[in-house]
Amino acid sequence: MYIVKRFLTMLLTIWVIASLTFVIMKFIPGDPFASDADVLPEEVVENMRAKYNLDEPIPIQYVLYIKNLAMFDLGPSIQSETRTVNDIIASGFPASATLGLQSLLIAIVFGLLLGIIAALYHNRFLDYVSMVIAIVGISVPSFILAPLLINYFSVKWGLLPVASWGSFQHSILPTLALATTPLAVVARFMRSSMLDVMNQNYIKTADAKGLSSFKIVLKHGIRNAILPVVSFIGPLFVSLITGTFVIEKIFAIPGIGKYFVDSIFNRDYPVIMGTTVFFSVILVFTLFLIDISYRLIDPRIKLTSKGD
Amino acid sequence: MKKGFLALVMLLTISTVLSGCYGGGGDEESSTDSKDSGEVKQEIVVNAMTEPPAIDPALATDTTSGWILDHIFEGLYTRDKEGNPVLGAAKDVKVSEDGKTYTFTLREDAKWSDGSQVTAEDFEYAWKRVLNPETGSAFAFYMYYIKGAEAYNKGNGSVEDVGINAVNDTTFEVQLNSPLGYFDSLLTLWTFYPVQKEAVEANENWSAEADTFVSNGPFKMSEWKHDSYVVIEKNDEYYDKDVVNLEKVTFELVNQATTYYQMFKTGELDLVMTLPTDVIATERENPEYKEVPYYGTYMYMFNVDKEPFTNKKVRKAFAMAINREALTKNVTLGGETPAYAMVPPGANTPNGDFRENGGPQFEEKTEDAKKLLEEGMEEEGWDTLPEVTLMYNTSENHKKVAEAVQEMIKKNLGVSIQLGNQEWGTYLETTKQHNFQMARMGWIGIFLDPVVNLDYYLGDSPNNRTGWVNEEFDSIMAKSKVEQDQEKRYEMLHEAEKILLDDMPFMPVYFYKNNYLVNTQFEDIVYYVNRYPNLKWASKSAE
Repeated sequence: MYIVKRFLTMLLTIWVIASLTFVIMKFIPGDPFASDADVLPEEVVENMRAKYNLDEPIPIQYVLYIKNLAMFDLGPSIQSETRTVNDIIASGFPASATLGLQSLLIAIVFGLLLGIIAALYHNRFLDYVSMVIAIVGISVPSFILAPLLINYFSVKWGLLPVASWGSFQHSILPTLALATTPLAVVARFMRSSMLDVMNQNYIKTADAKGLSSFKIVLKHGIRNAILPVVSFIGPLFVSLITGTFVIEKIFAIPGIGKYFVDSIFNRDYPVIMGTTVFFSVILVFTLFLIDISYRLIDPRIKLTSKGD
Repeated sequence: MKKGFLALVMLLTISTVLSGCYGGGGDEESSTDSKDSGEVKQEIVVNAMTEPPAIDPALATDTTSGWILDHIFEGLYTRDKEGNPVLGAAKDVKVSEDGKTYTFTLREDAKWSDGSQVTAEDFEYAWKRVLNPETGSAFAFYMYYIKGAEAYNKGNGSVEDVGINAVNDTTFEVQLNSPLGYFDSLLTLWTFYPVQKEAVEANENWSAEADTFVSNGPFKMSEWKHDSYVVIEKNDEYYDKDVVNLEKVTFELVNQATTYYQMFKTGELDLVMTLPTDVIATERENPEYKEVPYYGTYMYMFNVDKEPFTNKKVRKAFAMAINREALTKNVTLGGETPAYAMVPPGANTPNGDFRENGGPQFEEKTEDAKKLLEEGMEEEGWDTLPEVTLMYNTSENHKKVAEAVQEMIKKNLGVSIQLGNQEWGTYLETTKQHNFQMARMGWIGIFLDPVVNLDYYLGDSPNNRTGWVNEEFDSIMAKSKVEQDQEKRYEMLHEAEKILLDDMPFMPVYFYKNNYLVNTQFEDIVYYVNRYPNLKWASKSAE
């Protein structure tokens, strides 16, 4: 029952997001058909507007849009005249997702490792090293790190290709550039959460009953400390797999990240709507999954809403 | 706890599965063997920067799509190495006495990439497709010179009345409303390219993916990985295939200036354009560096309906008060040419270059500018000049230019102007609504004739946002379009430009330049002044 309810709320959320985006989008001044290369005769513009249903009154455009959305048809792109928004997402998402998952993996594995080490060696040398790495990771933006990586690994040492997409080698540098910040964030999160847990009474109990410190850390420490990190990984996962404007631009990756930004500059209405809806669907769905996974990680959390 | 690790393991698995998603690939290794085989692989990798929005003759409106279209299609006219229009898919043309009817005879050996004949029906179909209101073609208005075309496109006429007719397989007849002096030049534009009727009718989305392309140019579409690269290969069905040397051209779509610059440096790209401004100074000495005029004008429009630019003398004073040499040498840095007129260099006339013949239309003179400003203010009865805001669309480069101009006007005229900027979409709307005093604009001629540049300021042109309407200018432009005698036609255009620059509804700043880095192993790359480099004749020599 709870799951059905959650699911309906999800649909409602997506509808609200889509409607709000539609309204806000219509408020941006400008026109998808304006550009300096071709300021066109009125009738020609009318022909083009008709092609995209933009000649209809706005409420009708809205109804048409929601109707198509319900059938998973996100409409044609205005900027890229020959492709639909579905095409754009279908061809761009795999690259963005691959890159995002690789980065997420690195961020989680090394972030957790760094965080745990820092917590276990609290206020000692290894703690400081880990936290310096984390702070550098948070403060150096990816658009600085990326050219730096390219300059050394590709231009100076000739180890990896500069940019573009096509093989695992191509994905190494962008993965590193993209993973750094979330890695640092995960490490800091894990450190404080772990410190918290390691001061709890049940850890002392475990120690007193003679468990090896390895077992204590693994079975009692990490297991409890990881919970807050999981809730943070959800949104991180969504933002990583839906592509990033900067990294995709610098490394010429055929992902969907740039469409989130470019579509607004081009007033490409269907793409603005499409990317937003796509993002919110993934986000809402991921949050839903995370809710359920809490229950699996921590049996104390019940999958019922109040009153049920 | 186990579940947490399970999630990690799952992530790992998904990631491995997805690593099949890098797409393409494979080609990288094969290109490194070329040295062993002794023969030079005739392949080039160039950077096209952005995903071409529409590689479709009827829908393309941008230079990137046009760049690829120019290589895979060919119109009735094409261009020789010097950029002059020469017959392409047509082998002969007859123009009627009154200059209104053109009868083209197509080559028998003009073939589509699938081996079938390029017929007059294909041309008729392609052109009527452009004009069909349902196609929503932005460049349809370039066909309005054809009889009945405008009415049909605007929904007031029928397709039967359009003067485009396939008489038989090889005879194609076009009727114009009135004679047009530059029709041959116009026909080199991609909007007039043929498309294969069967291919387009069979699949409405034929131009969205590589495998449904049928084309008739020196190259044919081979692979299109969206947002990543486009590959074209030599078209063996092309009638003039012997002049084509390259077997394969790859257009990479890398949009970040420092990235493609580094890719050139590591040899991943053979040709890049629009270099990062900070490297131009050092690269200028490099034999790989190339600077080519680009057929466009960077300018500031004056709103002649808003004070103080209601006064002609004030407009002139502003135009004369800046130092364009200093601006291009020290600020823009791309080798741009200072502009003292509207039409850029590059338009050939029977007597040579139009710009050279016309010469500069005004001079920068600080003293005269000051005097003009005072006179203008006196005429209007102003004690102080109304406040001026110079608008530009948000961009680092436009900002640099605007700041330099602000400084120069302050120094030379003693007038402080404000700067304002808006994001491009909003900016276009603002200028369209006439809501500015002085605003930046750039205009690139899509085909090489002064008429394209001068038409910008016609009273009824949708581009003309200055509010300036001059009947004399409009009527000379109209007359020039029907003038059959080329020499007289250019004289009229010179006259029109004089009127325009005398009234000065805008101030020209500079004529554009394109800069490139090109691997020196490549020969016979042709640089047209209003297109990206043409590779039809290019070849790669041994190192």
